[in-house]
Amino acid sequence: MKYKYFLPLLIVALLGLGVGAFGLVDRLLHGLNPTALGSYIPWGLWVALYLFFLGLSAGAFLVTLMTYLLGMKQFEHIGPLSAFVVLVALICEVQFILLDLGQLHRAFYQFFLTPSFTSLLTWMFVLFNAMLVIYALKTYLLIRGDLIRWADEHRHNLLGRVYGLLALGKSGYDESQRQRDRRWVSVLAKISLPVGLLFYGTNGAFFAILLARPVWNSAMTPLLFIVAALLSGGALIAFLTYVFRQKDPINPDGVCVEDKLCLDLGRIILFLLVVFLALEAMQFSVGYTTGIEAVVTSLNLIVMGPNWWVFWIVHLLIGSFIPLALLVFRSRDVKSVALACFLIFITFAAVRVNFVLPDLAVYKLEGLEETFYHPRLRTEYVPNLNEWLVSIWVFSTGLIVFLLGTRFLPILNQWNGGEVHEA
Amino acid sequence: MSRLLAVEDHLIRMQRDLQRALEGDPEKVKWSMVIDLGKCIGCHACTVACVAENKLPPGVVYRPVLEEEIGTYPHVRRRFVPRPCLQCQNPPCVKVCPVTATYKNRQGVTVMDYKRCIGCRYCLVACPYAARTSDFGEWYTNGTPDQPEKSLLGRSVCADGYERQPAAEYKTRWPARGKGSPIGNARKCHFCLHRLEVGMLPACVTTCIGRATFFGNRRDPDSLIAELAASPRIFVLKPELTTRPAVYYLK
Repeated sequence: MKYKYFLPLLIVALLGLGVGAFGLVDRLLHGLNPTALGSYIPWGLWVALYLFFLGLSAGAFLVTLMTYLLGMKQFEHIGPLSAFVVLVALICEVQFILLDLGQLHRAFYQFFLTPSFTSLLTWMFVLFNAMLVIYALKTYLLIRGDLIRWADEHRHNLLGRVYGLLALGKSGYDESQRQRDRRWVSVLAKISLPVGLLFYGTNGAFFAILLARPVWNSAMTPLLFIVAALLSGGALIAFLTYVFRQKDPINPDGVCVEDKLCLDLGRIILFLLVVFLALEAMQFSVGYTTGIEAVVTSLNLIVMGPNWWVFWIVHLLIGSFIPLALLVFRSRDVKSVALACFLIFITFAAVRVNFVLPDLAVYKLEGLEETFYHPRLRTEYVPNLNEWLVSIWVFSTGLIVFLLGTRFLPILNQWNGGEVHEA
Repeated sequence: MSRLLAVEDHLIRMQRDLQRALEGDPEKVKWSMVIDLGKCIGCHACTVACVAENKLPPGVVYRPVLEEEIGTYPHVRRRFVPRPCLQCQNPPCVKVCPVTATYKNRQGVTVMDYKRCIGCRYCLVACPYAARTSDFGEWYTNGTPDQPEKSLLGRSVCADGYERQPAAEYKTRWPARGKGSPIGNARKCHFCLHRLEVGMLPACVTTCIGRATFFGNRRDPDSLIAELAASPRIFVLKPELTTRPAVYYLK
């Protein structure tokens, strides 16, 4: 599908790749040495952004939940888009986590040679790959019909040959095949429910099991992760549904099907936002009431540390209260709902940074800060240029895959029965 | 005028204990350390000896000495707490390693397999004692001026003469320090296993000028370490976490 933002966004993404390549090459040549990470804050910006994309990947999971668990069949319309967004988010996620490894190459074989199933990281590896397979298959089955048709239509040009390859050389796609693909999509969606819950829950449990980290070490953390993922992923899907809406050519000012979907999603996002804020308030109130020094110090770092504005202004004001007001008072205005969703998902990186860093930024033994001074043995951490450049690279790869997919694959056209094809 | 009785140096007895342990059934050996805080004077000799023994690069430390202030003015005093890896009997770091790159050996020492470690640093985050550090590939000679080849001075020659030479950790002949492991890996104290295997006490024990660090087989009832472990002054760090350290402290 052609859309007006395609070219400018593509230029931005290509520039991002060019600029980010400097950081990436430095990272690949010199390992983690160019980063500002240390032994007391061993995880930083990249892990926070990994969690950010983890949340965004939950969009299709939310759509699956609503369509197949709550019986809201209208959301089937955004199935291909949301499944494709999951794939893009997973691609970004895996890049961030691979680049964060000190011995990157070993990730490709060591998990198979000597896995340890007592480690939640091993389970994250298993579940990540399960999600990747499920959503790659789901996206493919959802667009297969259009791919075959487009391959037939463009048999004589290069694009047609690519479609032909993607359609595995198949031609002709009748109703019975469509029904069969839909049945498989339904099966995959049902499988993705437990897998997705486990995946997002395990990512929370990954932090929650750490006895030494009092803020993370809570049974609430996995639940918080699932709600956070649904909230940020759902907000992204709602926003994209609005961006890629196709107006009714007869009544362009009327409410189109995507607007209705966006408004429906907005109500669900409102519910998730309230639940998330309630859980967060519980986390803070329990932490402060318990009064354990390490917990209070970590929470104080969030609310009144040097980066207090990330919590109060970025997360609470821009990312929570303004969207909350929009979703409550302008719940019938599709533009306001889309804006609210945009603000929620774009500021969610702040939530992730505030989750990862404060618990690490507290010395675990008295006196550690006074002995054996080295920049790698401090609890002060500010991401450096290399980390930002690598992040720009990863964001740009995600943007490019998303742009090319939505432009050249039948991700969006299917909403109109695949009729608006302008490849 | 009083005369001091001749007392055997603790090192001699620990050396005998070590020989006995090495000659006996390895399955019955559980290495332990006891650190007498009343004797530690905070000289950091153990830290420096450890750095030298294991050729630790900048930013990697196995045994720092923590300095604590106790009490309120005017009744204040300073306490020094050397902190090696506590070799927990219930180690949080082992459980979280996704590729079994860190595990407990038969003598109860938590060791690292540098060739397996993927550098995820989950073990660093899981350790309640901050006893693990990551090797970020730092060099002491970084930023120093270099000289043309075959010179006696300069960055490259100095690096070749010391820090590029690998340590004997885990009794393995590691390649010259460069891009491969242990750069990018988690690193930790391993009770100088390479020294133990040849009948030598850990470097931090032999260099302790106050004789505050004791080492031996806690399963051997005749050993000095077993004697000290029965002291009423004994305590462990963060006992509430139930990690059951094998490094004990004497108040």
